[in-house]
Amino acid sequence: MKATATVFRKEMLEIIRDRRTLIAIALAALASPVVLYVISQVSTRTASETYTVGYSGDLPVGLDLLFSTTGLKLEPVADPAEAAKQQVDLGIVFTPKGLDEYYDPTRQSAQIADIRLQEILSKYDAAKIAASLQQKGVDPSVLNPLPVSVHPLSSPAQAAGNGFLSFFLPYILITMSLTGGLSAALDTSAGERERKTLESLLLTPAPRAQVLIGKTLAVATISFAAALAAIASMLIALTQIQFGPRQGSLPITLHPVAAIVMVWLAVLLAVSFSSLTIALGTLARNFRQGQAYATPLYFVTIFPASIVLFIPDFNPNLAYYVIPILNAVLVLRDAIVHNTVALGPLAVTSASLLVTGALCFYAALRLFTREALLIRS
Amino acid sequence: MTGPAVRIDRLEKNLGSNHVLRGISLEARPGEIFGLLGPNGAGKTTTLRVICTLLAPDAGSVEVLGFDTRTAPEEVRRRVGVVTAEFGVYPRLSARENIAYFADLSGVLDGELDRRVDAVIERLDMRSFARQRAESLSSGQKQKVAIARAIVHDPPVLMFDEPTSNLDVLASREVREFMVESKDRGKCVIFSTHVLHDAERLCDRLTIIHQGQVVTSGTTAEVRGAHQELEDAFLDLLAAAP
Repeated sequence: MKATATVFRKEMLEIIRDRRTLIAIALAALASPVVLYVISQVSTRTASETYTVGYSGDLPVGLDLLFSTTGLKLEPVADPAEAAKQQVDLGIVFTPKGLDEYYDPTRQSAQIADIRLQEILSKYDAAKIAASLQQKGVDPSVLNPLPVSVHPLSSPAQAAGNGFLSFFLPYILITMSLTGGLSAALDTSAGERERKTLESLLLTPAPRAQVLIGKTLAVATISFAAALAAIASMLIALTQIQFGPRQGSLPITLHPVAAIVMVWLAVLLAVSFSSLTIALGTLARNFRQGQAYATPLYFVTIFPASIVLFIPDFNPNLAYYVIPILNAVLVLRDAIVHNTVALGPLAVTSASLLVTGALCFYAALRLFTREALLIRS
Repeated sequence: MTGPAVRIDRLEKNLGSNHVLRGISLEARPGEIFGLLGPNGAGKTTTLRVICTLLAPDAGSVEVLGFDTRTAPEEVRRRVGVVTAEFGVYPRLSARENIAYFADLSGVLDGELDRRVDAVIERLDMRSFARQRAESLSSGQKQKVAIARAIVHDPPVLMFDEPTSNLDVLASREVREFMVESKDRGKCVIFSTHVLHDAERLCDRLTIIHQGQVVTSGTTAEVRGAHQELEDAFLDLLAAAP
């Protein structure tokens, strides 16, 4: 395997000297903190923002106090329905029978003001009913015949943090395992043809399988490093950034079991994606064509992560763990949420990813040893 | 008399639907520059690619120093160095790193590697730019890197495929001088070109191929025959070819 080591060393040297790859990794590492910071700023601003409610008619006694404590500012207007289009966030007309509400659902500020208004009104209604009952000598607790005491079995804040991680972490792991090494993979495959170095490389007595293993390992190393760098920066950012004025930072801790599972999956994904992208790059005549071939892979990475986002309680049977990438998302999600790992799904996932990587490597090797490789170039 | 370094016997090769080589036979010996001449598309590059095992013969056989290209391709590659017009180099490696990489892949032992690389750098007068990244080198300097990597494992057979077509006069002259020097060291030098003036000056023996077939073979003088210039003989032979 001397040729493998030689090719690996040379590829790593070239990758380290390639600004494109280094910039891509640096941007990926910075992207998560920046996106999370923007999200935190927006959520903080949304939570602390005061919205304006334009009203007409007679304001019920005591309601103004509730408005001021819920971040809603009352402002008298001539026509609340018209004002709700732009001038204010919400319009209310107080009538003898109750109130008419006007808001534009296409405006986010109107939606938030509406939610706050519903909270105020339900509190107001409850207070009025309670007062009325008391006046008639009835205990207001009759309105709450089954008082509930909630006893969470784990910290709700921690669960929220885990839920957040269970979506973002698999997503970043998969996208970075693919994109982190993509530039290097195309450079080492399509780039060889474009630079006219392929023929000289194939002229050496080094076995082609060993050459290809060296290339794959180098690309996998970069993919792995990029994925870990992006995840580490995300975790650090999550512990530092505050979401909203009241909630504080999410309690983000990655359980050791989840961390070990993540590293293992990162290795498998890096090897699989490296083989796959090198195979695609070997088909291409130049770097640009290789990028075009690799573009559909982005959809492959986004789709499984989206399933977890849109179906958070998706609990598939073992057969689903055969599907590459989706299986990695599910295993990592479960490890993060439950802090344990089921050995069956992990074994099936590992076998599936190893077989996928081996098939991709075999395809790349077949392409790499075909005469057409030289004739087409 | 020494045996042939390269022996081709009734070689045939198809590329897709093109019947590129149609029964070529030739022999090139150690210590000579053997010219492979022909117009563009005659099959010169395909012949060289079969010799160095990049392409497999469809029929016939090719041997390099007794090793068959089909059954012992790695042994053949150990004994062959190839320089082409497309001197692709790894741009982010230095000239020296480029050469060392190929030396390593060609099986030069670790203890020998630095000495071999330094010797080649010295021989091709590359010291002034050996540590520079290849992306900053001139065409002539890149061609020297390409030659260096082809000879660093000291192969007994050297093949030059249109090596001067992208070079200026000075660099071309250095390549020609290197070919002569290699011949003097006992190497078998196969020189594929359509520049007949170069062939006439350099080659001891030559073969002219046209449409995948050998038109004539012999010493340069024999092929030139009664003509004053090789070019005239070449044109006459092609015109008479079927």
